[in-house]
Amino acid sequence: MTMPKLFGYTDRLSVKPGETLDFFVHAENTTKATAQLVRLIHGDQHPAGPGFIEQEVGCEANGVWAVREQVTQLGSYLEVSDPQAKLAPGGSFTLFAFICPTKPRADGRQTLLGRWDIEGRSGYSLGIAADGRLEFALGDGANVTSAVAETPLLPDIWYLVAASLDAQSGQAILYQEAVINRYNSLLSRVAVLDYRSHGTKPIPAQPKHRTETPFLIAGASLGTAKRGARVSELYCGKIDRPGLIGRVLSRNELDAIRKGGQPPSDELIAYWDTSHGYSDAGIGDVVIDSGPSGLNAIGHNRPVRGQTGWNWSGRNDCFRLAPQEYGGIEFHAEALTDCNWDSARTVKLPADLRSGAYAMRLRARGEDGEAEDYISFFVRPKAPGSKLAFLFPTASYIAYANDRQSFEAPMTQSVTGMAPVLSAGDLEFGTRDDFGLSACDHWSDRQGVCYSSSRRPILNMRPKHRAAGPNVAWQFPADLSIIAWLEHRGYDYDVLTDEDLERDGLDALQPYTCVMTGTHPEYYSERMLDATEDYIAAGGRYIYMGGNGYHWSVAFRPDEPWVIECRKYGPAWKTWDARPGEYYMVSNGQKGGAWRGQGRPAQKMVGVGFISEGYGKSEFYRRMPDSYHRTVTWLTKGVSGEVIGDSGLAYDGAAGIAIDRCDPSLGTPPHVKLIASSGGHIDNYLLNPEVVHYAFEGMSGSYDYRIRADMAYFTAPNNGAVFSAGSVAFGQSLPINGFDNNVSRILSNVVDAFIKAGALPGSQWVNEEKQWR
Amino acid sequence: MNAVIDTQDRAEVRRLRYETKQRAFLKTLVSPHVIEEHRRSPIGQHSEPLERLLAYFRRRPLAGRYAIMVVKPFEAYRLVQLSGERGVPPAPSDETIYRSQAEAEHAIFLRNVQTLLT
Repeated sequence: MTMPKLFGYTDRLSVKPGETLDFFVHAENTTKATAQLVRLIHGDQHPAGPGFIEQEVGCEANGVWAVREQVTQLGSYLEVSDPQAKLAPGGSFTLFAFICPTKPRADGRQTLLGRWDIEGRSGYSLGIAADGRLEFALGDGANVTSAVAETPLLPDIWYLVAASLDAQSGQAILYQEAVINRYNSLLSRVAVLDYRSHGTKPIPAQPKHRTETPFLIAGASLGTAKRGARVSELYCGKIDRPGLIGRVLSRNELDAIRKGGQPPSDELIAYWDTSHGYSDAGIGDVVIDSGPSGLNAIGHNRPVRGQTGWNWSGRNDCFRLAPQEYGGIEFHAEALTDCNWDSARTVKLPADLRSGAYAMRLRARGEDGEAEDYISFFVRPKAPGSKLAFLFPTASYIAYANDRQSFEAPMTQSVTGMAPVLSAGDLEFGTRDDFGLSACDHWSDRQGVCYSSSRRPILNMRPKHRAAGPNVAWQFPADLSIIAWLEHRGYDYDVLTDEDLERDGLDALQPYTCVMTGTHPEYYSERMLDATEDYIAAGGRYIYMGGNGYHWSVAFRPDEPWVIECRKYGPAWKTWDARPGEYYMVSNGQKGGAWRGQGRPAQKMVGVGFISEGYGKSEFYRRMPDSYHRTVTWLTKGVSGEVIGDSGLAYDGAAGIAIDRCDPSLGTPPHVKLIASSGGHIDNYLLNPEVVHYAFEGMSGSYDYRIRADMAYFTAPNNGAVFSAGSVAFGQSLPINGFDNNVSRILSNVVDAFIKAGALPGSQWVNEEKQWR
Repeated sequence: MNAVIDTQDRAEVRRLRYETKQRAFLKTLVSPHVIEEHRRSPIGQHSEPLERLLAYFRRRPLAGRYAIMVVKPFEAYRLVQLSGERGVPPAPSDETIYRSQAEAEHAIFLRNVQTLLT
């Protein structure tokens, strides 16, 4: 087979003209790719729209690139820098750790901690054998001797495990005891199970310590001979307060640690106090060694810090309140926050590049076909030059990056009401494990993925991509329908991304008279939300083009803005459920979950908020009486009849997929005008469980009037205003009939009014009694 | 989501009993009328008998569940069966080409009905 394959990403998503951007490319079955910079205009290939539209753009990097295969290190683990080989004890020693394995039975061995060279068969390692049993392995460079516990470890149970090498007697000693309390584990003390294991085994030789072997926690070194990925035996589960002591610890001494005591200080080599170094603003990737040598451990692929520890008492629900009970660090064998490939090319973008959505189109031809990838990124202006800005919801793109729900989640067909429609790209992606998971997915140990990153190829952030589960253009390709509309109508606009909003806050939005969003800006950090609220309150005009927006509270760390963190829990619809006590984000200490649960439902900011989600059929809006109010008749100028948006690229209507409604009880501004509203949705649309406090029959589209998309408008202080579409499908109705339709007409009325500074149309009407026709 | 400890999940015993009764009931809902209703509108609002059949089919174990593969976007589709296992691609079902998502969706329905009745 000589079918070439190409996949790539950039070092950041938002860039200015004239700046350089690093492109990272992985190639299979080819060493060359033809690169062409393109401006992306429209993505959805639905036959009722204009199809895929790109414009080739001159660039110094256009032409043939040398490309090659890259290797990706998956898995989260800790590495200890130990230049003086303190962690290579010459005589007796004891390794210990509290652990809560989430997948003790795996395809292969998992290393908990050690200085272990897999290929070189040298060093020492405390780990879990493939059959789930604790294993202490010692290698002299030729032979490996293992001591294996008799009782297998059980998933989601906390244990104290330890292994000693007694150099005098030539014995290896294993220690395994459960540390179950009322809160910390899957099972309580009432379950009759055997957790403990103690044993000894003669060890014929001392371990050989190679100087180049790193001390790792939750992984082991493959050895120096191996190219690329260098850490294997990756562990799934939590580790809390591990340590290394230069002598044999007695059973009593280990029992004292198990009961919460500090490890003995004599002969202490290292003790990683995983609960140390926490702050109110989050936890970083450095795990502090409180032992004599300060051999701190550094996290790779973002181990999840601040998780409930072995001694979690259930009283506090955040690492900020009881750090000593939150020493759990969670590891996953498939974690990936940065592919860390070598750059294929550093590209200097043209200095006169117009702000917009762009991609480096890479193509390579082989005997069996052509590979193509559009490495997408966004060019903001050198300095804001337009009155209008389109804000690409890149935080949500990262959250959904490489989402595998379509073919991996048992519930997807029930949610979408259809069989997944898989493209060749989906099939290729389905066989790969090297591009990481989305914040909608699960790791293989069933835990939800709380970190997602843009530093890897994102196969669903591509212009022609269709989401397989619901068989629609989703997120980025759907948002391009709005870009195509802006182009068609000839508006002068800049583009921004969430990356800019998170970094610059209000400063990103303030230069613009009007800001419009993408179709599904669902994941919002506090900083992004604050900036948006402040922008509107200060007189900004805001067009919310989507549905189910401003829903999840997420967080970024300023030093790694390409990684999003989220915690899913509570009554909101969610593809995974964070464990009790793990609701706060480590990136900044902010509470995760849905914003509604923190007193900030979307209604307070944009008038409408999450009421339902459904697939297969969209509806139209009907004009509501408010639309005839003289303060707002300008919005529907040129629209004849009552029906708005009865066609579209997303299930043939403008009101669908994710829909929002006004709700005064959730903070819709009292003076809102309800311009139009949908109804009669199919029963695939169900009520958002956040508004369901008690379930009963009939909470679906054809039964419940609350399930609708509200098109809403309200004025804000200082000549500000908000127009909300309240539906994801709204933007995908714009391209119908060559962009000549009443959704397009209404949006033009809004944009035309919003980009003019000063008083808004209709604002001259002030006396309520005179405002009706 | 928590792990299932390596002991028998008793719910499975109950599920199998439910399956037997549910399948017997669902067989009584299959009729030419229901099949024609699905052919006309495979995706969207359905009568109660049809929706009950579909709800059951959509919740079959992921391994072996039918999916649609795009041969040419908006023009040609084929059926595949999901592996239900991460990293294992779907298996081709047969070579039949369907001209629309709706046609393919209906073909899946007919196969599921056939499996139910046999």
